[in-house]
Amino acid sequence: MSKIKINKSHFATYFSLAVIVCLIIIFTIMEKSFLNGSNVNNLLSDTAPLMVMAAGMTPVILLGSIDLSVGALCSVTNVLVVSVIMNFKDSIYTDWFILTVALAVTFIFSILAGILLGVIHVKLKVPSFIASLAFMSIWNSAALMISNSPIAIPKKLWGTINWYKISVGSAGLPLIIAVLLIVVYFIVLTKTPIGRGIYAVGGNERAARMSGISVDKIKIIVFAINSFCASLGAVFLMAKAKSCAPTVGDSFTLMAISSVVLGGTALIGGNGNILNTILGVFIVSIIKNGMNIASINVYWQKVVFGVILLLAIAINADRSARSSIVK
Amino acid sequence: MAEKKLLFSARNITKSFHGTQALKGVDLDVNEGEVVGLIGENGAGKSTFMKIIIGVQPQSSGEMFLHGKEFKPHDPLLANAAGIGMVYQEQSLITNLTVGQNIFFGKEKEFKQMGFINWKKMYAEAAKILDEIGCNEINPRKKVIDLNFATRQMVEIAKVINVTQKAGEDNKCLILLDEPTSVLNEGEVKRLFEEVRKLTLKGHSVIFVSHRLDEVLEISDRVYVYKDGENAGNMSIEEATEAKMYEMMVGHETTTEYYHLDKQIQPDDNVVLEARDLGCWGKFKHVSLKLHKGEILGLCGVVGSGKEEICSVISGDQKASSGELIVKGRKVNYSAPAQALKDRILMIPMERMTEGVVRGLSVEDNIALSNAKLLSNHGIVSKKTVAAQAEEWIEKLQIKTSGRDELVIQLSGGNQQKVVFARALASEADIVILNHPTRGVDVGAKEEIYGLIRDMVAAGKAIILLGDTLDECISMSNRGIIMRDGIITGEFNAAVDSKPTQVSLISMMV
Amino acid sequence: MTVKNNASLTITEEFAAKVKTDNQKERLMKWAPVGVLVLLVVVFSVLKGSSFFSTNNFVAILNQWSLPLLVALGLTFVIMIGSIDLSIDGTVGMVGSITAICVANSKNTSNMGMAGLLLAVAAAVVIGFIIGIIHVKFKIPSFMVSFAFMNICVGIGMLSYSGKPATIRDPFMTALPKASFLGVPVITWIALVVLVICYYIQECTPFGRHVYAVGTDEMIPRAVGININHVKIKVFTLAGFCYGVAGVIGALRLGQGQIAIGTGQMFPAQAAVVIGGTALSGGKGGVINTVVGTLIMTVLINGLTMMGVDPNIKTGVQGLIILVAVILTIRRGSTVVSK
Repeated sequence: MSKIKINKSHFATYFSLAVIVCLIIIFTIMEKSFLNGSNVNNLLSDTAPLMVMAAGMTPVILLGSIDLSVGALCSVTNVLVVSVIMNFKDSIYTDWFILTVALAVTFIFSILAGILLGVIHVKLKVPSFIASLAFMSIWNSAALMISNSPIAIPKKLWGTINWYKISVGSAGLPLIIAVLLIVVYFIVLTKTPIGRGIYAVGGNERAARMSGISVDKIKIIVFAINSFCASLGAVFLMAKAKSCAPTVGDSFTLMAISSVVLGGTALIGGNGNILNTILGVFIVSIIKNGMNIASINVYWQKVVFGVILLLAIAINADRSARSSIVK
Repeated sequence: MAEKKLLFSARNITKSFHGTQALKGVDLDVNEGEVVGLIGENGAGKSTFMKIIIGVQPQSSGEMFLHGKEFKPHDPLLANAAGIGMVYQEQSLITNLTVGQNIFFGKEKEFKQMGFINWKKMYAEAAKILDEIGCNEINPRKKVIDLNFATRQMVEIAKVINVTQKAGEDNKCLILLDEPTSVLNEGEVKRLFEEVRKLTLKGHSVIFVSHRLDEVLEISDRVYVYKDGENAGNMSIEEATEAKMYEMMVGHETTTEYYHLDKQIQPDDNVVLEARDLGCWGKFKHVSLKLHKGEILGLCGVVGSGKEEICSVISGDQKASSGELIVKGRKVNYSAPAQALKDRILMIPMERMTEGVVRGLSVEDNIALSNAKLLSNHGIVSKKTVAAQAEEWIEKLQIKTSGRDELVIQLSGGNQQKVVFARALASEADIVILNHPTRGVDVGAKEEIYGLIRDMVAAGKAIILLGDTLDECISMSNRGIIMRDGIITGEFNAAVDSKPTQVSLISMMV
Repeated sequence: MTVKNNASLTITEEFAAKVKTDNQKERLMKWAPVGVLVLLVVVFSVLKGSSFFSTNNFVAILNQWSLPLLVALGLTFVIMIGSIDLSIDGTVGMVGSITAICVANSKNTSNMGMAGLLLAVAAAVVIGFIIGIIHVKFKIPSFMVSFAFMNICVGIGMLSYSGKPATIRDPFMTALPKASFLGVPVITWIALVVLVICYYIQECTPFGRHVYAVGTDEMIPRAVGININHVKIKVFTLAGFCYGVAGVIGALRLGQGQIAIGTGQMFPAQAAVVIGGTALSGGKGGVINTVVGTLIMTVLINGLTMMGVDPNIKTGVQGLIILVAVILTIRRGSTVVSK
């Protein structure tokens, strides 16, 4: 995109990198084992689900919308995929077949969920935050109704999740998939008509509409892909934990939004570089991992993330506000 | 006859905006107890002048006097405090509050007793004010949302009277009414005029701004005619006739070079777009028109005549509620501009800033807004193609910019408009709706845009033009349609050698 | 509408006619919530007979109604200015937690009595005030600020008791939740007092009128010289007060100070406000609407529980109700841009 935008995002990149370096230094001082091999491995593999969800969330925020239901959708798909796998507990099918069926069911469900949210937002003109808020409670309920408590995957079905352990160097397969996803998304956002359309809608939805861009179609697609990403994250979580839990996604909404905003994407839309989201995700992951390693009270984490989110938004806010009326 | 005392006067008021002069030195006198009517086309400067008097914006030069003393309001509240109030065209009442609450909105403190409002006292005061303007049948405890428009208009007037009355010297106020009759039917207009008369009998003065000549002539004691930001004339009601008014209202006739009349071509017989009895509930109805290839069809009318809404329907932004729209032989019903674009219809919107350009994007990205798909190769839009397209149009349209990478908001108004044009041209739309294409653009750029429009039809496109002035409409079009209050009141032919005069058309517009 | 076919109507008349029918529809819709409430009572009475339609159950409903009512009252003002408040779960939980460690309790030696309760409420007021200021000064959308603060408050709450909730030991406070006056629980009376206060603020103070104006169209009050920012900050502060009282009551009733006091408070409050008729876009509705809305939600949940419905469905149903209520009441101009 335009030179000015790249300059701004260069600044965001350098800023994020600087923050990451500072954080690493701080945490290493607090607890020397922060930088040792096994912790780094842990950190990298833990990051994949968040990376995937932040990838899906970035275009949503670029549109100027928001999706508060990703955490809940992650929970329900997490439980769903394990339930499907467990269905084949005593069957003779191969692990790959079971995995494929489970993934197919989960992904189709999540995409349909995203389309539903998009349609309600676009056709019925319900603001995205309230529509996604409503769905958050609906999916949370659904997750608890499918399974009230964690389900562990029995050893004999572990063939379905072995792929999780594949790694290239210290980067696990999930993380590689996540980064690839972001790169693909980057190409789509900057070089395809639909991606350019997303920036246009976020920048000035009315002008985008008047210039002949299919605003409705673009919004629905973005919400659908975001939901797919939530379910992909759920699959990663399931594979790592070898089990599911109906509240697993609770904290991810806040973390995903924080990652996107920390990556320099403004809430108001039309501005931002998805590659920087990678850095934003690392900032969030490092803070989480670091606070755990340094034995900081887990309750502080919520406070810290809340404050960070506000700071990040305040810094990134486009104060030469187009719409001076903010509700 | 009693000597009328001068209440307000303005001398030589000018106002410029970024290089365009909206007011070129106007005078105005208002005596006590008198109704002064202001009439003129869109863009003649009436609203701008009103906004200066009420203090929303300052004049560039010139003075105003109230009760003989110099008057320089910095904001509307100060003007109110001096005894001048304005009833705006857009209703400013809070619908879920009552009449009384609206009249005293912002002034509730006067009725405060120990932290709570004494409603009884307030409603009694409200009743007094309503009585003062002769509307004692309005119940001040009723919610505004339950009132009809005429009554709401009276409440607006009561609100203004309340604010200005205590302030004005001798309790005489100056009330500005900006297009107060646009939402009223015939009976309600009569009511409004009765109330205005009652106001003047009490010594208050009114400035009545409207585009409806018959109403202005009915209610005013004196009439000022505005044309192109200047006083075209003023006379007392006894001397005023419709014919004289029309004569004064039309702007100066401009040269043939300005509108590139030499380039006006004869359109095809091919009908590319047809509207049959098209209607949009509350906006326009019974509109039938035909657009030919190579033709510039002008739509003339004042704001609110329905011409903008017709364009919204044709471009896909709004849906019609009745009638048919036939594009290239096919019946269509667009639900979004994206669908209209598929049939190669595109509109260049009126509000450049809010509807035309995407602020955060560069010049080249704005130009590529409407045709990204056309540029793509297997789904990928390469930066090179976008850049090449931008360079091409910057050259063709002589867009003054430091580079195709420049953010579009940093360009001047005229050049931003050219970017919007470039986008439309690049999109290969062959039916283009130009919605006030030269609004806010300096004279030099205007001439270039007129030439551009001529080139577009020469290339085979068809254009519907909403002009800023009647002159523009007549000079640029091959044919024209005149609208007033939602229906077509006239059509005209505008071949190069037989352009109608503005005077002959204006009577159908106002 | 037969008038539609009358070709002699001018555009102005068409427009006025349209506005008139819209208004008529709105007037009918005003009574819809009451109708829904009556319908629910009837349906549950039929399905569950005297176990639902009994004094015992009605007292229970009044008891269950107190907390949601308080929370929804605060939220009503926020929604009337067109904003939203997602911080409720956190603020209420935080206040509940703070309450328990300030009065005589099992964990520490503080014994602040009433002052402790006031301190807890003050904490919520401060949070509300801060949310208002950040929203207004930094122009961050209210949903984002309140969402961030929900997490912050949950954190603060949990930190205050570090995993082991404090049990309240103050004798007056342990007795209060069980006491009734004229057959109605004291707790409900407290909520009703707050209701009356809020109603007065809404109807009898200039601030109340300004709230409607800001929600309708910010330009109008601005043009009359009203400070919009002050109105907004006051609204969030008032909401904080309501949440504070709710948190205190929740702690007293539970006998403990826990974050869970706040969990799940937001959705029913949201649904209640919208169902009651206060529009999300602002400028419409009010405290009385919320009374009806909260009664509807409380009766609904009471009835569903009585029917043995899976408790996990509760939140889902509330979400669905919010969705349906918003869809039905949202204004639908084609040029409305909703993000």
